[in-house]
Amino acid sequence: MFNQFGATAETLSKASTLVFRIGTDAHLYDDPDDVSIAPLLDSRFDSEKCEALKRLLALIAQGFEVSSFFPQVVKNVASQSLEVKKLVYLYLLHYAQKRPNEALLSINYFQKDLGDPNPLVRAWALRTMAGIRLHVIAPLVLVAAGKCARDPSVYVRKCAANALPKLHDLRLEDNTVGIEEIIGILLNDSSPCVVGAAAAAFSSVCPNNLSLIGRNYKRLCEVLPDVEEWGKIVLIGILLRYVVARHGLVKESIMFSLHGTENSRSEKDCSDTNSALDDNGDSNGLYESELTNAVSRCYIEGPAEYLSRLSFMNKDSSEFNYARFTSGKNNDDVKILLQCTSPLLWSNNSAVVLAAAGVHWIMAPTEDLKRIIKPLLFVLRSSNASKYVVLCNIQVFAKAIPSLFSRYFEDFFICSSDSYQIKALKLDILAYIATDSSISFILKEFQDYIRDPDRRFAADTVAGIGICAQRLPEMANACLEFLLALTRQQLMTGEFGSVDTEADILIQAIMSIKSIIQLDPPSHEKVIIQLVRSLTSIKVPAARAMVVWMVGEYNSLGDLIPRMLATVLKYLAGCFASEEVETKLQICNTAVKVLLGAKGNDLLTIKMVLIYVLELAKCDLNYDVRDRAHFLKKLLSTYLDSQCLEEETNRPGQHKDSSRLLAENLFGKQNKSISHEPIDHRFYLPGSLSQIVLHAAPGYEPLPKPCSLRCDDPEMDENGDPYVTDDEDSASESLDEEIASSYSSQHSNVDSSGTDGSEEAGSASEDDDNSHQLIQFSDERKNGASQSASDFGELLSNRALESWLDDQPGFSKPNTSEHSQVRTSSARISIGDIGGQVRPKSYPLLDPVNGNGLRVDYSFSSEISSISPLFICIEVSFKNCSKETMSDITLVDEESGKGKDSVEQSSFSDESSTIPQSNEPNLVSVEEITSLDPGQTMTRSIQVRFHHHLLPLKLAIYCNGKRHPIKLRPDIGYFVKALPMDVEVFTNKESQLRGMFECVRRCTFTDHIKELDKDKGDNSLVEDKFLVICRSLALKMLSNANLHLVSVDLPVAAKLDDATGLCLRFSSKILSTSAPCLITITVEGRCSEPLEMSVKVNCEETVFGLNLLNRIVNFSVEPSHPHV
Amino acid sequence: MLQCIFLLSDSGEVMLEKQLTGQRVDRSICTWFWEHTVSQGDSPKLQSVIASPTHYLFQVLREGITFLACTQVEMPPLMGIEFLCRVADVLTDYLGSLNEDLIKDNFVIVYELLDEMIDNGFPLTTEPNILREMIAPPNIANKMLSVVTGNSSNVSDILPGATSSCIPWRTTNLKYANNEVYVDLVEEMDAIINRDGVLVKCEIYGEVQVNSHLSGVPDLTLSFANPAVLDDVRFHPCVRFRPWEAHQILSFVPPDGQFKLMSYRVRKLKSSPIYVKPQLTSDAGTCRVSVLVGIRNDPGKTIDSITVQFQLPSCVLSADLNSNYGTVNILANKTCSWTIGKIPKDKAPAMSGTLLLETGLERLHVFPTFQVGFRIMGVALSGLKIDKLDLKNLPKPPYKGFRALTRAGEFEVRS
Repeated sequence: MFNQFGATAETLSKASTLVFRIGTDAHLYDDPDDVSIAPLLDSRFDSEKCEALKRLLALIAQGFEVSSFFPQVVKNVASQSLEVKKLVYLYLLHYAQKRPNEALLSINYFQKDLGDPNPLVRAWALRTMAGIRLHVIAPLVLVAAGKCARDPSVYVRKCAANALPKLHDLRLEDNTVGIEEIIGILLNDSSPCVVGAAAAAFSSVCPNNLSLIGRNYKRLCEVLPDVEEWGKIVLIGILLRYVVARHGLVKESIMFSLHGTENSRSEKDCSDTNSALDDNGDSNGLYESELTNAVSRCYIEGPAEYLSRLSFMNKDSSEFNYARFTSGKNNDDVKILLQCTSPLLWSNNSAVVLAAAGVHWIMAPTEDLKRIIKPLLFVLRSSNASKYVVLCNIQVFAKAIPSLFSRYFEDFFICSSDSYQIKALKLDILAYIATDSSISFILKEFQDYIRDPDRRFAADTVAGIGICAQRLPEMANACLEFLLALTRQQLMTGEFGSVDTEADILIQAIMSIKSIIQLDPPSHEKVIIQLVRSLTSIKVPAARAMVVWMVGEYNSLGDLIPRMLATVLKYLAGCFASEEVETKLQICNTAVKVLLGAKGNDLLTIKMVLIYVLELAKCDLNYDVRDRAHFLKKLLSTYLDSQCLEEETNRPGQHKDSSRLLAENLFGKQNKSISHEPIDHRFYLPGSLSQIVLHAAPGYEPLPKPCSLRCDDPEMDENGDPYVTDDEDSASESLDEEIASSYSSQHSNVDSSGTDGSEEAGSASEDDDNSHQLIQFSDERKNGASQSASDFGELLSNRALESWLDDQPGFSKPNTSEHSQVRTSSARISIGDIGGQVRPKSYPLLDPVNGNGLRVDYSFSSEISSISPLFICIEVSFKNCSKETMSDITLVDEESGKGKDSVEQSSFSDESSTIPQSNEPNLVSVEEITSLDPGQTMTRSIQVRFHHHLLPLKLAIYCNGKRHPIKLRPDIGYFVKALPMDVEVFTNKESQLRGMFECVRRCTFTDHIKELDKDKGDNSLVEDKFLVICRSLALKMLSNANLHLVSVDLPVAAKLDDATGLCLRFSSKILSTSAPCLITITVEGRCSEPLEMSVKVNCEETVFGLNLLNRIVNFSVEPSHPHV
Repeated sequence: MLQCIFLLSDSGEVMLEKQLTGQRVDRSICTWFWEHTVSQGDSPKLQSVIASPTHYLFQVLREGITFLACTQVEMPPLMGIEFLCRVADVLTDYLGSLNEDLIKDNFVIVYELLDEMIDNGFPLTTEPNILREMIAPPNIANKMLSVVTGNSSNVSDILPGATSSCIPWRTTNLKYANNEVYVDLVEEMDAIINRDGVLVKCEIYGEVQVNSHLSGVPDLTLSFANPAVLDDVRFHPCVRFRPWEAHQILSFVPPDGQFKLMSYRVRKLKSSPIYVKPQLTSDAGTCRVSVLVGIRNDPGKTIDSITVQFQLPSCVLSADLNSNYGTVNILANKTCSWTIGKIPKDKAPAMSGTLLLETGLERLHVFPTFQVGFRIMGVALSGLKIDKLDLKNLPKPPYKGFRALTRAGEFEVRS
């Protein structure tokens, strides 16, 4: 009965987790799709929307594809709840690139949010807008980023900086200049946080535009300690590059000192620092200096280039000229950089420490280098995760200048918790930094390591001992002794637990012994003998092969070895058959070497042994061994034959024929003393990813060429930086100027012939009057410049937040001045009978092949629907291409009857630019064509309501009782209707729709060329080229969209063939909302060539405007249909 | 710049993915990573930068959760690693601790945090104080409220004031009824004692941890009686460099709550508080082990939580170990741990026993390393002493508390 109290600990803990999980989103993650998500998304309640979005997020987290909900999610972007907004943004960013068309629908809301008084909302809107990465909206984002770069909130400005790399990723060439200018503004920001983000943008957008840094260099250095940690990392790198490019390397730094010592090696120890570097003996010093040389060259040239150059050129090319060096003591820029980076060595962030250390490594005078040592070593202890990376960098530093770290050898002692990679790195560093004073401690440590359970590591340790012995010849004997002891011990244990890893240790030990012997063979004769005597117990083939090699290599060394050679060879020949391949090969080689060096009585024995061995080898299973045997036999044939043997013994020294010479060259004692292998290490800049992975990662750039940056503007170099300001107000003023200039480069439709005077207009007019059109002249010289200047002044005076946010129509931007100055003078013409030539383009709706001979075409008509402004009139022509008569042809909309929960419908219900949701049919029913004779064509006018200006409408044609599904594609050009207005009204309206409501694209126009060519054919009537262009342009536009031609402005240029400045204006209004939509086309180029055309759309509905613009550009580029 | 962040559970399951840039990273990279990890064997010790066939991977492992970030372009690798560490820290802070269930249960918060912490692959806001204001940590009150009202929002609708202030780490407008500040010296002793029983390396890694609950914008100055013992230092961003350079004084405006003000290192200490003497003698296929533990230098306070741990070499077939004090456990992965606790007054703790080696192996040729753990409350073994803590800009004098603690870090005894 007390059962319910008998809760075990387990159930209690279960219960507690249950309690703990209540109220979290656990159930959403576990079963994200246990409820239908779609209705929740359409719910009126934020909490339900939230839940749906969280479920979607859970699905994303688990790797499911849920982009099908996109349209429904997008419309929630309008939610007022910040949490819903945030979740929608998370979803949007994940899928926007997959669903670009639907993503466009959210742009309006972002634009609205950009004006929100809450900085968080503004920032999020900008981040998301830039994050959805659509080419179409890039201009909008650029404008928004430019605006946010002036935002009063630091956070928003920071987000603006982060938006720029996103824009840059889209690779739109037009935007680069604009982006770089905004970066310039942000680099100059008063808040260090923004500067950090701007530095990040700089390094990913325009890392080589170092002049941008030059302007602010001193200020950036000073602000560096206050920049947030992530920005610091990037900014340090940028500043370093700038200094190298501007001033070159520092004479006192390691980048120079070792060139110095190398070039003036005779006058050794020119400074005490160098003697400190060379304290490890001459040969090592030489090697290390070479290494440092390689390091510094690699930093500047990149390893690939450096190594390739090294291969065909002697390494000490004099191209490293001294003019590229500066003195760190006198150069203020270098000094300030070092000064400002040195406290960063105390940073909590290991990446900052490493970046600061990197600057010092490259720039600091050698005697100051020691200050980076302790911080680097400290990073090792304080951050476990970064240990590996820091060690990789220390390894390079330590190899180049071992003395730097030699005092701190204890820090590299290995802990059992280190991973193998870290152990190996530490070992390598230890071997390099060992000095006479520390070697005894280090060797003691190494002896401990060899007993480590990790045998791979133990083998590495043995190799490390070899390196130590080579570096410190005084210690060679101690090392050797230890190694021999180890070998003996290894041979003992090897008898029992012969594991592969143990074999590795033995091989390493013998290899290390070999390398020590190479240092000074004569004094190690006894060692060789000892090894040879232990051949019987050395079972590992690789180790055996090495010992055999030593026998051959040192066959004439000392007194004892030559005497035992015959015995050894006999032994080897005896066990030849049971050897592994590598040992067999070595035995062959050794026998030959011994033979060539042999004298006296042994000669005969050795010869016999060799013949025996070669005979055995010839029958070997391995073809390498067989080949070697044949080759050797051929080579030595003269000596192996018995009669030659006599000859040879009789007249030694004679008959040294070519094969003998060859053999001696091959196997003779070219006992090359340890020529340290050419340095082919690859070095990358400290702290870089490439240095860790040891290949150039994409995007890796070596330091800029020293002194490659010329300082053109001395005024900027001095501290007369025009942008340095203290209070935020004046700083923003300068920002405004920058903004203005960024606009000028963005709308690059600047007229090149803008300076032409008005008197030329008259002469131009005389050329024009042979045309029959009515021509009006109007001097268009505006006083816009002065007016906009006053606007500008006003802008500066009230820079309060309110006015800034109030970016409504009517807020004239300073860039109006630039626009009004473009056209100094032009003539306005009107084209007469253009209306008659307009032929709307027709599109196939049903192919005769698919439609059983029925061909249906449609074209948009410029008529306005009588039913509702939402309907668009379309002319549909039915043609019977078959031989039989057709009957009962109808066009039906099949979807209007269905429920409205279909995806397309609901997604657009929120989109203001399209039709509000209603139950009206999409198609006003068309009267049925009862019969259609063969060859007959019938035309019907239908009225259609599209849901969205981008999505096709699904219809069906019934003919002879058969159903043919068709898709009626909307043409955005007919979602507007002509809005007659005159030029004044047009310019007025245009000035209200600037900034975000304006979008520009460029394209080429070629239609007129055909026209001009046609005219050339019949010389009778030579038309004016300008008029031809105007007419073809106007025709093109009017045939593809329902527009009103407002005006045609002809340039009054000096050159007759130059069409630059030709400007056509069209006006229209959007059918659904009656919002005006203005189109301006400006032309550049020569009449007879393809024209550069820039199309500008001003429209309140930005998305609509953009789509219309794209449509215009598309149809302008494609060649026109032939005129009938 | 980072392209994507994945959170992997300890079984290799992808719990979360967050794409950061336009180049989406496919999940298959996680499969590759996991297979690579498994093939390497010692997964927890895997290197932190890996070059996979398609991406460069940075990984940080915390409490079984793998934080994996991918990039395809050059970037400072430490930036990626440090950032992942920061994410792990923030998540631990938000969720109380870190495990698979906690992440899954709070995935929305994790997403929101990640979105706030990184933008376009570049860290955006990583300061815990600001994040706390932007995204509310889950707490009981919130959860109950959400259960009752069905309405929960952990997204703040105002931008934290600190984002615009010049001390971005501190929350603005703080008010406490009781102003208090606690300063803890937490030290870890690293030592290596080699085979001969010689103390090869002995040093202290210490942290000054501050827990501040102070109103307004206080200005604190902390000075040490003997700053000269400090060998290396690293500071929280709030510490001003100049006063330290000039007088070795820590002058700072603290963040709110618990934070690490500074970390330091004191090298070349002469002795350790306790000794551990292992002895292994092997003969004829068995190995006798005996380990003695005792106090070498009495620090004046009790040493507790003493443990000795070692990994049995793979050639050991079975082990039979006993101790005269404390408990000995041999875990499945051949880790042997001896928990001692406090050292008793009357006897010296000793562990002894035999190891049976695999057949054919006469004697042990590899030797385990013993990891020692201990804790001493109330003492900073480095000898560092806090002189005084001055507070300015405060309406009334706060309560100040000081503590010290030393524990073993990487304290190793080789045998």
